[in-house]
Amino acid sequence: MNWEQKIERLAARAQAERTPRVDVTQSVLHILTAGQAQPLTATERVWMWLAAATSAVAVPAAVVAFVLYSQSASPLNEIVEAISWAVQ
Amino acid sequence: MPEFAAWIEAMLAESVRAVADSLPGRRQDAPAGSTPADLDDVRLTRRGDPDAYRRLIERHQERVARMLWRFSRDRQVHEELVQDVFVEAYLSLRGYRGKAPLEHWLARIATRVGYRYWKEKARRQAAEPFDLEKWDEAVGDGQATASLEPDDAGELLHRVLAQMSPRDRLVLTLRYLEQCDVVETARRTGWTKTMVKVQTMRARNRLRKLLEQSGTELVQ
Repeated sequence: MNWEQKIERLAARAQAERTPRVDVTQSVLHILTAGQAQPLTATERVWMWLAAATSAVAVPAAVVAFVLYSQSASPLNEIVEAISWAVQ
Repeated sequence: MPEFAAWIEAMLAESVRAVADSLPGRRQDAPAGSTPADLDDVRLTRRGDPDAYRRLIERHQERVARMLWRFSRDRQVHEELVQDVFVEAYLSLRGYRGKAPLEHWLARIATRVGYRYWKEKARRQAAEPFDLEKWDEAVGDGQATASLEPDDAGELLHRVLAQMSPRDRLVLTLRYLEQCDVVETARRTGWTKTMVKVQTMRARNRLRKLLEQSGTELVQ
Protein backbone atom coordinates (compact mmCIF):
# COMPACT_ATOMS: atom_id res chain seq x y z
CA MET A 1 0.00 0.00 0.00
CA ASN A 2 1.55 3.33 -1.03
CA TRP A 3 1.46 6.58 0.91
CA GLU A 4 -1.55 7.93 -0.94
CA GLN A 5 -3.63 4.82 -0.38
CA LYS A 6 -2.86 5.12 3.33
CA ILE A 7 -3.96 8.74 3.30
CA GLU A 8 -7.13 7.83 1.42
CA ARG A 9 -7.92 5.04 3.89
CA LEU A 10 -7.38 7.37 6.78
CA ALA A 11 -9.60 10.01 5.14
CA ALA A 12 -12.30 7.43 4.51
CA ARG A 13 -12.12 6.43 8.16
CA ALA A 14 -12.33 10.08 9.19
CA GLN A 15 -15.60 10.51 7.27
CA ALA A 16 -17.41 8.92 10.19
CA GLU A 17 -15.94 11.23 12.82
CA ARG A 18 -18.24 13.26 15.01
CA THR A 19 -18.34 17.01 14.60
CA PRO A 20 -18.98 19.09 17.72
CA ARG A 21 -22.48 20.51 17.78
CA VAL A 22 -22.57 24.24 17.36
CA ASP A 23 -25.44 26.66 17.43
CA VAL A 24 -24.43 30.05 16.17
CA THR A 25 -27.95 31.29 15.43
CA GLN A 26 -28.16 33.68 18.36
CA SER A 27 -24.63 35.01 18.07
CA VAL A 28 -24.95 35.64 14.32
CA LEU A 29 -28.29 37.39 14.68
CA HIS A 30 -26.89 39.41 17.58
CA ILE A 31 -23.94 40.58 15.45
CA LEU A 32 -26.24 41.47 12.58
CA THR A 33 -28.89 43.24 14.64
CA ALA A 34 -26.31 45.10 16.74
CA GLY A 35 -25.11 46.65 13.50
CA GLN A 36 -21.59 45.29 13.91
CA ALA A 37 -21.88 43.98 10.38
CA GLN A 38 -24.31 45.33 7.83
CA PRO A 39 -24.34 45.11 4.06
CA LEU A 40 -23.50 48.31 2.24
CA THR A 41 -26.45 50.44 1.23
CA ALA A 42 -26.84 51.70 -2.36
CA THR A 43 -25.51 55.13 -1.36
CA GLU A 44 -22.52 53.60 0.41
CA ARG A 45 -21.80 51.54 -2.67
CA VAL A 46 -21.79 54.67 -4.84
CA TRP A 47 -19.43 56.41 -2.40
CA MET A 48 -17.20 53.35 -2.31
CA TRP A 49 -16.88 53.24 -6.10
CA LEU A 50 -16.35 56.98 -6.23
CA ALA A 51 -13.58 56.72 -3.63
CA ALA A 52 -11.94 53.89 -5.56
CA ALA A 53 -12.12 55.82 -8.84
CA THR A 54 -10.74 58.96 -7.20
CA SER A 55 -7.85 57.01 -5.71
CA ALA A 56 -7.14 55.40 -9.04
CA VAL A 57 -6.80 58.85 -10.64
CA ALA A 58 -5.13 60.58 -7.69
CA VAL A 59 -2.16 58.23 -7.31
CA PRO A 60 -0.87 58.54 -10.93
CA ALA A 61 -1.59 62.27 -10.84
CA ALA A 62 0.51 62.64 -7.69
CA VAL A 63 3.38 60.70 -9.28
CA VAL A 64 3.26 62.85 -12.44
CA ALA A 65 3.09 66.04 -10.38
CA PHE A 66 6.13 64.97 -8.34
CA VAL A 67 8.15 64.19 -11.48
CA LEU A 68 7.18 67.49 -13.12
CA TYR A 69 7.98 69.43 -9.96
CA SER A 70 11.39 67.76 -9.67
CA GLN A 71 12.16 68.59 -13.30
CA SER A 72 11.07 72.19 -13.03
CA ALA A 73 12.76 72.76 -9.68
CA SER A 74 16.18 71.48 -10.66
CA PRO A 75 17.33 74.70 -12.51
CA LEU A 76 16.26 76.67 -9.43
CA ASN A 77 18.28 74.35 -7.23
CA GLU A 78 21.37 74.95 -9.40
CA ILE A 79 20.99 78.73 -8.98
CA VAL A 80 20.55 78.39 -5.20
CA GLU A 81 23.68 76.23 -4.98
CA ALA A 82 25.65 78.68 -7.07
CA ILE A 83 24.58 81.61 -4.87
CA SER A 84 25.51 79.69 -1.71
CA TRP A 85 28.95 79.08 -3.22
CA ALA A 86 29.34 82.76 -4.00
CA VAL A 87 28.28 83.76 -0.49
CA GLN A 88 30.82 81.43 1.06
CA MET B 1 10.72 19.77 -15.41
CA PRO B 2 8.05 17.04 -15.20
CA GLU B 3 5.92 19.58 -13.29
CA PHE B 4 6.30 22.05 -16.13
CA ALA B 5 5.33 19.40 -18.70
CA ALA B 6 2.26 18.49 -16.65
CA TRP B 7 1.36 22.15 -16.37
CA ILE B 8 1.61 22.58 -20.17
CA GLU B 9 -0.49 19.44 -20.63
CA ALA B 10 -3.11 20.69 -18.16
CA MET B 11 -3.21 24.11 -19.90
CA LEU B 12 -3.74 22.48 -23.30
CA ALA B 13 -6.47 20.19 -21.97
CA GLU B 14 -8.19 23.16 -20.36
CA SER B 15 -8.04 25.19 -23.59
CA VAL B 16 -9.45 22.32 -25.66
CA ARG B 17 -12.28 21.85 -23.16
CA ALA B 18 -13.05 25.59 -23.12
CA VAL B 19 -13.28 25.69 -26.92
CA ALA B 20 -15.45 22.55 -26.99
CA ASP B 21 -17.77 24.01 -24.35
CA SER B 22 -18.19 27.23 -26.31
CA LEU B 23 -19.33 25.45 -29.50
CA PRO B 24 -22.99 26.03 -30.39
CA GLY B 25 -25.29 23.17 -29.48
CA ARG B 26 -23.01 21.97 -26.74
CA ARG B 27 -25.05 21.12 -23.67
CA GLN B 28 -24.03 23.10 -20.62
CA ASP B 29 -24.54 21.37 -17.30
CA ALA B 30 -27.01 23.55 -15.47
CA PRO B 31 -26.45 23.55 -11.73
CA ALA B 32 -29.29 22.19 -9.69
CA GLY B 33 -31.28 24.96 -8.05
CA SER B 34 -31.84 25.65 -4.41
CA THR B 35 -34.69 24.15 -2.46
CA PRO B 36 -37.89 26.25 -2.45
CA ALA B 37 -37.56 26.73 1.31
CA ASP B 38 -34.06 28.17 0.88
CA LEU B 39 -35.14 30.48 -1.92
CA ASP B 40 -38.11 31.72 0.10
CA ASP B 41 -35.97 32.38 3.15
CA VAL B 42 -33.29 34.14 1.10
CA ARG B 43 -35.98 36.38 -0.42
CA LEU B 44 -37.47 37.14 3.01
CA THR B 45 -34.03 37.79 4.51
CA ARG B 46 -33.30 40.32 1.81
CA ARG B 47 -36.50 42.08 2.82
CA GLY B 48 -35.21 42.25 6.38
CA ASP B 49 -36.96 39.30 8.03
CA PRO B 50 -34.59 38.05 10.77
CA ASP B 51 -36.64 34.88 11.32
CA ALA B 52 -35.99 33.82 7.75
CA TYR B 53 -32.25 34.09 8.27
CA ARG B 54 -32.58 32.22 11.54
CA ARG B 55 -34.22 29.35 9.64
CA LEU B 56 -31.43 29.40 7.05
CA ILE B 57 -28.77 29.22 9.75
CA GLU B 58 -30.55 26.40 11.56
CA ARG B 59 -30.94 24.46 8.33
CA HIS B 60 -27.32 24.74 7.20
CA GLN B 61 -25.13 25.23 10.26
CA GLU B 62 -24.52 21.55 10.88
CA ARG B 63 -23.16 21.02 7.38
CA VAL B 64 -21.03 24.17 7.58
CA ALA B 65 -19.74 23.13 11.01
CA ARG B 66 -18.79 19.73 9.64
CA MET B 67 -16.87 21.36 6.82
CA LEU B 68 -15.05 23.78 9.11
CA TRP B 69 -14.03 21.00 11.50
CA ARG B 70 -11.46 20.24 8.78
CA PHE B 71 -10.01 23.72 9.25
CA SER B 72 -9.79 23.95 13.01
CA ARG B 73 -10.22 21.37 15.73
CA ASP B 74 -10.14 23.97 18.46
CA ARG B 75 -13.78 24.15 19.53
CA GLN B 76 -13.78 27.86 20.22
CA VAL B 77 -12.09 28.75 16.94
CA HIS B 78 -14.35 26.32 15.12
CA GLU B 79 -17.46 28.01 16.45
CA GLU B 80 -16.11 31.43 15.52
CA LEU B 81 -15.42 30.25 11.99
CA VAL B 82 -18.98 28.93 11.62
CA GLN B 83 -20.26 32.25 12.89
CA ASP B 84 -18.06 34.16 10.43
CA VAL B 85 -19.45 32.11 7.55
CA PHE B 86 -23.03 33.09 8.34
CA VAL B 87 -22.16 36.74 8.91
CA GLU B 88 -20.30 36.84 5.58
CA ALA B 89 -23.13 34.99 3.88
CA TYR B 90 -25.61 37.56 5.15
CA LEU B 91 -23.46 40.45 3.95
CA SER B 92 -23.16 39.02 0.46
CA LEU B 93 -26.66 37.59 0.18
CA ARG B 94 -27.45 40.07 -2.59
CA GLY B 95 -24.92 38.27 -4.75
CA TYR B 96 -26.69 34.92 -4.42
CA ARG B 97 -28.62 34.29 -7.63
CA GLY B 98 -30.25 31.00 -6.66
CA LYS B 99 -28.80 29.15 -9.66
CA ALA B 100 -26.73 26.81 -7.49
CA PRO B 101 -27.95 25.22 -4.25
CA LEU B 102 -27.45 27.45 -1.23
CA GLU B 103 -25.32 24.81 0.44
CA HIS B 104 -22.80 25.02 -2.46
CA TRP B 105 -22.69 28.77 -2.10
CA LEU B 106 -22.17 28.42 1.66
CA ALA B 107 -19.48 25.81 1.05
CA ARG B 108 -17.57 28.35 -1.04
CA ILE B 109 -17.82 30.93 1.73
CA ALA B 110 -16.81 28.34 4.33
CA THR B 111 -13.77 27.39 2.27
CA ARG B 112 -12.78 31.04 1.96
CA VAL B 113 -13.22 31.66 5.69
CA GLY B 114 -11.29 28.52 6.63
CA TYR B 115 -8.45 29.24 4.20
CA ARG B 116 -8.17 32.81 5.47
CA TYR B 117 -7.92 31.46 9.01
CA TRP B 118 -5.07 29.13 8.01
CA LYS B 119 -3.21 31.95 6.26
CA GLU B 120 -3.54 34.25 9.26
CA LYS B 121 -2.48 31.46 11.61
CA ALA B 122 0.53 30.62 9.42
CA ARG B 123 1.61 34.27 9.54
CA ARG B 124 1.34 34.36 13.33
CA GLN B 125 2.94 31.08 14.28
CA ALA B 126 4.81 28.14 12.84
CA ALA B 127 3.03 24.82 12.43
CA GLU B 128 2.94 22.65 15.51
CA PRO B 129 5.72 20.10 15.05
CA PHE B 130 4.48 16.64 14.31
CA ASP B 131 6.44 13.54 15.12
CA LEU B 132 6.29 11.45 11.96
CA GLU B 133 7.02 8.31 13.94
CA LYS B 134 3.50 8.65 15.27
CA TRP B 135 2.28 8.45 11.72
CA ASP B 136 4.08 5.15 11.22
CA GLU B 137 2.88 3.81 14.54
CA ALA B 138 -0.72 4.67 13.75
CA VAL B 139 -0.83 3.81 10.08
CA GLY B 140 1.89 1.23 9.68
CA ASP B 141 1.44 -0.73 6.48
CA GLY B 142 -2.04 0.75 6.06
CA GLN B 143 -4.03 -2.10 7.59
CA ALA B 144 -3.83 -0.45 11.02
CA THR B 145 -6.09 2.38 9.86
CA ALA B 146 -9.10 0.06 10.07
CA SER B 147 -8.68 -0.21 13.82
CA LEU B 148 -8.40 3.55 14.31
CA GLU B 149 -11.37 5.41 15.74
CA PRO B 150 -12.79 7.85 13.15
CA ASP B 151 -12.04 10.81 15.43
CA ASP B 152 -8.42 9.68 15.80
CA ALA B 153 -8.10 9.18 12.05
CA GLY B 154 -9.41 12.70 11.47
CA GLU B 155 -7.09 14.13 14.11
CA LEU B 156 -4.06 12.34 12.68
CA LEU B 157 -4.78 13.50 9.15
CA HIS B 158 -5.41 17.02 10.40
CA ARG B 159 -2.02 17.09 12.11
CA VAL B 160 -0.17 15.70 9.11
CA LEU B 161 -1.78 18.19 6.73
CA ALA B 162 -1.03 21.00 9.19
CA GLN B 163 2.63 20.59 8.24
CA MET B 164 1.87 21.83 4.73
CA SER B 165 1.50 25.42 3.56
CA PRO B 166 -2.09 26.79 3.68
CA ARG B 167 -2.43 26.51 -0.09
CA ASP B 168 -1.23 22.89 -0.22
CA ARG B 169 -3.29 22.05 2.80
CA LEU B 170 -6.41 23.47 1.20
CA VAL B 171 -6.24 21.38 -1.97
CA LEU B 172 -5.31 18.24 -0.05
CA THR B 173 -8.07 18.75 2.50
CA LEU B 174 -10.62 19.27 -0.24
CA ARG B 175 -9.33 16.26 -2.15
CA TYR B 176 -8.97 13.72 0.63
CA LEU B 177 -11.32 14.82 3.38
CA GLU B 178 -14.05 16.65 1.48
CA GLN B 179 -13.62 14.24 -1.45
CA CYS B 180 -13.95 17.03 -4.00
CA ASP B 181 -13.01 16.46 -7.63
CA VAL B 182 -11.21 19.09 -9.71
CA VAL B 183 -14.42 20.86 -10.75
CA GLU B 184 -15.74 21.07 -7.20
CA THR B 185 -12.37 22.19 -5.85
CA ALA B 186 -12.26 24.91 -8.51
CA ARG B 187 -15.76 25.99 -7.56
CA ARG B 188 -14.97 26.16 -3.88
CA THR B 189 -11.63 27.91 -4.16
CA GLY B 190 -12.47 30.19 -7.07
CA TRP B 191 -9.34 28.94 -8.87
CA THR B 192 -9.29 27.72 -12.46
CA LYS B 193 -9.38 23.97 -13.06
CA THR B 194 -5.84 24.16 -14.43
CA MET B 195 -4.63 25.87 -11.30
CA VAL B 196 -6.33 23.25 -9.14
CA LYS B 197 -4.66 20.42 -11.10
CA VAL B 198 -1.22 22.00 -10.90
CA GLN B 199 -1.61 22.92 -7.24
CA THR B 200 -2.85 19.44 -6.35
CA MET B 201 0.04 17.79 -8.12
CA ARG B 202 2.58 19.98 -6.33
CA ALA B 203 0.89 19.51 -2.96
CA ARG B 204 0.80 15.71 -3.42
CA ASN B 205 4.52 15.70 -4.23
CA ARG B 206 5.30 17.73 -1.15
CA LEU B 207 3.14 15.50 1.04
CA ARG B 208 4.83 12.40 -0.36
CA LYS B 209 8.25 13.90 0.45
CA LEU B 210 7.08 14.78 3.94
CA LEU B 211 5.90 11.24 4.60
CA GLU B 212 9.09 9.79 3.17
CA GLN B 213 10.98 11.66 5.85
CA SER B 214 9.48 9.31 8.38
CA GLY B 215 11.92 6.75 7.07
CA THR B 216 9.59 3.89 6.43
CA GLU B 217 7.61 5.31 3.52
CA LEU B 218 9.11 4.36 0.21
CA VAL B 219 8.20 5.73 -3.18
CA GLN B 220 5.99 3.15 -4.84
